[in-house]
Amino acid sequence: MTSSLQHAFRPRSSTAPAVVANQLIKHFGDLEVLKGVSLDVPEGTVTSIIGASGSGKSTLLRCMNLLERPDQGELAIADEAIRFDRNPQGDIIGLDRRQLQRLRAKVTMVFQQFNLWPHLTVLGNVIEAPMRVKKLSRKRATALGEHYLERVGMADRRDAYPAFLSGGQQQRVAIARALAMEPRLLLFDEPTSALDPERVNEVLGVIRGLADEGRTMLLVTHEMHFAREVSDQLVYLDQGNIACSGTPEEVFADPRCRQFMAPAA
Amino acid sequence: MDFSWLSDPFYLGYLWEGFVNTLWLLLVSAVGGLLLAVLVALARLRGPRPLAWLVWAFTTVMRGTPLLVQLFFFYYGVGHLMEGVPGIQETFMWPLLRDPFFFAALTFILSVGAYSGEVIRGAMQSVPRGELEAGRAFGLSGFQVLTRLWLPRAIQLCLPTLTGEMILLLKSIPLVSTIALMDLLQAANIIRDETFLVYEPLLLIAGIYLATTVVLTLVLRFVELNFPGMQPTQRRWLPIR
Repeated sequence: MTSSLQHAFRPRSSTAPAVVANQLIKHFGDLEVLKGVSLDVPEGTVTSIIGASGSGKSTLLRCMNLLERPDQGELAIADEAIRFDRNPQGDIIGLDRRQLQRLRAKVTMVFQQFNLWPHLTVLGNVIEAPMRVKKLSRKRATALGEHYLERVGMADRRDAYPAFLSGGQQQRVAIARALAMEPRLLLFDEPTSALDPERVNEVLGVIRGLADEGRTMLLVTHEMHFAREVSDQLVYLDQGNIACSGTPEEVFADPRCRQFMAPAA
Repeated sequence: MDFSWLSDPFYLGYLWEGFVNTLWLLLVSAVGGLLLAVLVALARLRGPRPLAWLVWAFTTVMRGTPLLVQLFFFYYGVGHLMEGVPGIQETFMWPLLRDPFFFAALTFILSVGAYSGEVIRGAMQSVPRGELEAGRAFGLSGFQVLTRLWLPRAIQLCLPTLTGEMILLLKSIPLVSTIALMDLLQAANIIRDETFLVYEPLLLIAGIYLATTVVLTLVLRFVELNFPGMQPTQRRWLPIR
């Protein structure tokens, strides 16, 4: 994978990547979690990040909407380079909050623990950000919310509160919440890891449907078979470096990659 | 037991005035105190460090000294000092600065702010981080995360404790009878002094406090039960098994 930050500055076209990360470095204290990772997610494709626990997968994903702020590197979201404040050594020390809020509206996230807001109804969860961030009217946001709840099969529970739903249902609502922002890129952080085994498939089914629609998605997952099936690009992360990447066929055909994945698969 | 004095409109007037003053003081102190408490919690959690320290010191002093001492301090101390400020007697502030109600409300607001501030701070810290992170991840501003997600969730978590704080507040209010404010206890004291009956007036106002507490508990329980997103298992009127 050649990282290509210059794509970010081209006029918007269907082939421009939704997100471009270049040489991201991230420390937690003394621990270097990302050691210069470059990744781009082309528009309309699905990329899965796989790797062992502690390899930096989630950190990399969380850098894509800046829930984690990288210490070094460059990042462009939806054709727009992030304006980082840097010290003279080039370390990132801050960023433009207004730009961040604007861009986060274009890159939404589905969390491992769902993270629904328990004091809002299902519909309330879905329309909150469209109303507050995109300033849609309640009417428009509701129409949008109902559409996406329908899409994940949760329209009939629109007035329920999250505490009354199963894990799989909560995660489907969380997906509708992410879709209702009509983002350029959807991030999934181990979306099935907190689910009972019998609930995993209902969520994977929804994600597969989104992949088939041609949505741009970046996925961190332990579901190796699923990743292989839905992804256009697989990235194997090992101790903060990309050990191996390519199409699923390439990755699974390459003996060097297979050796990396043997313990995980 | 002699309750014949209850037919005296004079005493009933005292009791009514005392009851109204008690309720007013409760309402003003609860509303003002809880608003202050939110600011106290925010300053402790997110304020610049000097402010956080200052608020910690405020909380420690307010929680570490007797309420009665604070009441005297503000009414006799601060109130008396204010008298000496040149020209203050001509300002619109003057009637307020002579009013025991003002100093009582001030003391209770500061006290509730300190106690409930700590309760709200604890509750804010126990809101799962992921919920707030989700807010940020969707582009909500810090203020929106606070007012739409963080505070509502924190208040939901600490409502039962805040109910307790409000009941304690109600029963701190008789302290104001010491600064010449007509509350229920003051009314009972007057009745005792004039009729030489000790227990009957006290029994009556104890009953009024008890009834007010029950009403207050039920009202706050109603709020609690109707808080959006309540866990289904917790939906019982009386929190008794």
